[in-house]
Amino acid sequence: MTKSKTAVNRRKFLKGAATAAAGAAAVATHIPASDAEAAQRAPGPAQEGAAPAPTAAQIERDAGNVAAPAAARPVQRAVIRPGSDLMVQVLKDLGIEYVALNPGSSFEGLQESLINYGNPPNRMPELITALHEESAVTMAHGYGKATGVPMAALLHGTIGVQHAAMSIYQAYYDRTPALLIAGRDLGFIQAHSANDMAGMVRSFTKWDAQPKTLAETLTALQRAYNEAITPPMGPTIVVVDIELQKEEAREMKVPARTPPRIAGVDATQAREIAKGLLEAQNPRIAVGRLRTPDGVKQAVQLAELVGASTSTAATQGPMSFPQRHPLCGPGATTAYDYTVGLEAEGAQVSIIGPGLSTLLERDPTNIGFGGIAPAPAGGRGDAGRAARGRVIALDAEASLAPIVEEVRRQMTPDRQRLVQERSAKHAAANEKARVEALQQALEQKKAGWDATPISTARIYAELWPLIMKEDWCLSSPSGFSGGHNTQLWDHDKPYRYLGGQGAGGMGYGAPASVGAALAAKSRGRIVINVQTDGDLNYAPGVLWTAAHHQLPLLTIMHNNRAWHQELMFVEYMCGVRGRGGERGHIGTTLRNPSIDYRMMAAGYGMAGEGPITDPSKLSAALKRGVASVKRGEPYLIDVITQPR
Amino acid sequence: MKQKMNTTFLGALVAAAVALSIASAGAQAPAGGQGAARPRSQPPTSPVTGNAVTGKQLYEGYSCYACHGYTGETGRAFVGNWSGNLATETSFIAFLRGRANVAPAQPSTSMPNFSAATLSDAQAKDIYAYIRTFRSHAPANAEDIPVLNQILGASQQPARP
Repeated sequence: MTKSKTAVNRRKFLKGAATAAAGAAAVATHIPASDAEAAQRAPGPAQEGAAPAPTAAQIERDAGNVAAPAAARPVQRAVIRPGSDLMVQVLKDLGIEYVALNPGSSFEGLQESLINYGNPPNRMPELITALHEESAVTMAHGYGKATGVPMAALLHGTIGVQHAAMSIYQAYYDRTPALLIAGRDLGFIQAHSANDMAGMVRSFTKWDAQPKTLAETLTALQRAYNEAITPPMGPTIVVVDIELQKEEAREMKVPARTPPRIAGVDATQAREIAKGLLEAQNPRIAVGRLRTPDGVKQAVQLAELVGASTSTAATQGPMSFPQRHPLCGPGATTAYDYTVGLEAEGAQVSIIGPGLSTLLERDPTNIGFGGIAPAPAGGRGDAGRAARGRVIALDAEASLAPIVEEVRRQMTPDRQRLVQERSAKHAAANEKARVEALQQALEQKKAGWDATPISTARIYAELWPLIMKEDWCLSSPSGFSGGHNTQLWDHDKPYRYLGGQGAGGMGYGAPASVGAALAAKSRGRIVINVQTDGDLNYAPGVLWTAAHHQLPLLTIMHNNRAWHQELMFVEYMCGVRGRGGERGHIGTTLRNPSIDYRMMAAGYGMAGEGPITDPSKLSAALKRGVASVKRGEPYLIDVITQPR
Repeated sequence: MKQKMNTTFLGALVAAAVALSIASAGAQAPAGGQGAARPRSQPPTSPVTGNAVTGKQLYEGYSCYACHGYTGETGRAFVGNWSGNLATETSFIAFLRGRANVAPAQPSTSMPNFSAATLSDAQAKDIYAYIRTFRSHAPANAEDIPVLNQILGASQQPARP
């Protein structure tokens, strides 16, 4: 099909569009006898000329209000097997659960396949309606952290990719997998197209492709998935031309996919590490953030096999050792004689998979986003992650199976007995330390218990007994809200706490929580989002997505009516310059008028209540909220809080 | 059923707090934060000459609440943990002035400087009068809060697999 490469003259464009619409109306009532005929009748380049105004019936039909008469419905489609059906089949084969998108013409073929192809249609994957591309990608970010596998997002041309750019960067910096597909239509609106669509996000994506054929597209989608889940995990992007989405696939089949091989330690290294753990009197395993829940399971297996006390990163983010496991804690004695780090520092061995700095070749302009370029030790980014002991730059999760196997091989009855004795001592010591730490924390958390505005500690404390017996996930970063979950809650599953924003970008909490809630919905969980007010206002339309898709998401506003940290920064600067702090609130607070988040939620169709200022009314509101999300209905509680 | 906290542990905490309070009662801390006395659980008893009503407006207008909470109990709390810098009006004013010319390279949430040109001694005394009205909004012991007992009780149950 010939495509116009010339720049768009708006007048010509509008006339052409009207002509094309009239042509499309004619095609709708015609039944092509063959593919060849359909191809012959395909509209050519837009012609300038007089076009009749659409009739009332046409307008109604375009608005979706009128169904074509049964007798006029085509019995044969212009394209029997569109290429986009095969693309969706690839997503199905990959197990992609959801595709979030904000609609755009450059992927209309793919969108049509998503909603109509398959039996039942619009399932695995299901289309999730996003109100902003940044929201769509951050949903994938939250989903990826909760599950360890990618969700997909569709982006419309240059404008969609740029809307999504910050969220792509954030997922990249957080090393979270996501599969992004950007539609491209060179023949429609030039401003929405680019020769190299992924170029503008290349410095902060893991991999990209802009295939030229349908067959290449299918392979590229498979490879994009593989690259996304291979460490360092991250978002990948495939640019898909509209022609490839609409082309007739005929007998083409989806190619077989080979899963990626992720390298872990070899047999010699596994043997050495197993020997070190088994021969030590007091072995220690430091566990950071692994890739998937399976990795966490294997880490638990290894710790139990060797009777090692462990440290965990479960209070900082997902995919780490269960916080209340009997072996989790300092153990009976902290005189460790052999420490292995799994994506963490170990005194003897640190198994740490490749970081973002291994992707520097994808930053050809040397922008050095996020300081991932080589930096002095102690600098920002993963280049500053100094590890002690011998560093094995391989994926820790992939290393666990061979180490476990080797431990089993080297195990003897004597060693088994020592492991059991040591484990019992660790369990007793860890339990004592944990309860004492909790008691101290409770004394601290009671400060301001009955104060108005409500203390953030009280939110977390009141909430915990209501969810502790549920299968919950705290999706929001808790650092700005006092981090009280880290001391009060029990992070015993890989998805309990999803950690920070990735790159500290605001506008993350709500959409990431929707992504986590998508993961939760199909797994029978509920999601808690303690939502800072400044963060919500970047793209609050995501509340509608939660309501529309009936997600089990409880949002509790930490409403301090400010971008609070910035307020403190500006106040400090006022002091440094000796010009007074009484104007520090300008540009940092959200007052006059104060925002009513219950009304905001109601406007998007989400039930809720508030603002709550009386701490004695908090618990009942939280109970109503938890009950609502357990029914699968999202709920928002606006709580006026102390600043931190 | 109400789960009682570990009374031995809590009792020790309370006893320590009471002992600290008795030991420091009536003592005056040196000014300016340098060599200040240990924080005290009870508020100072030194004279107050400012206007607490005006002080409330200043406490909020100058964003003191931003770091210390609206009641001095959250964030960088001082209620129940009264710094020697808050022992007297004089020590408080000296502390406000003492942060001059501290300009860290990175953004800071440290205590800002308040020079006399931007916050007069009279205004500082008003703020001081206001914060001296602050009292704890919490029961004396965590064990007096049912939900905190519930949390402790649950933590002593066996972990779920």
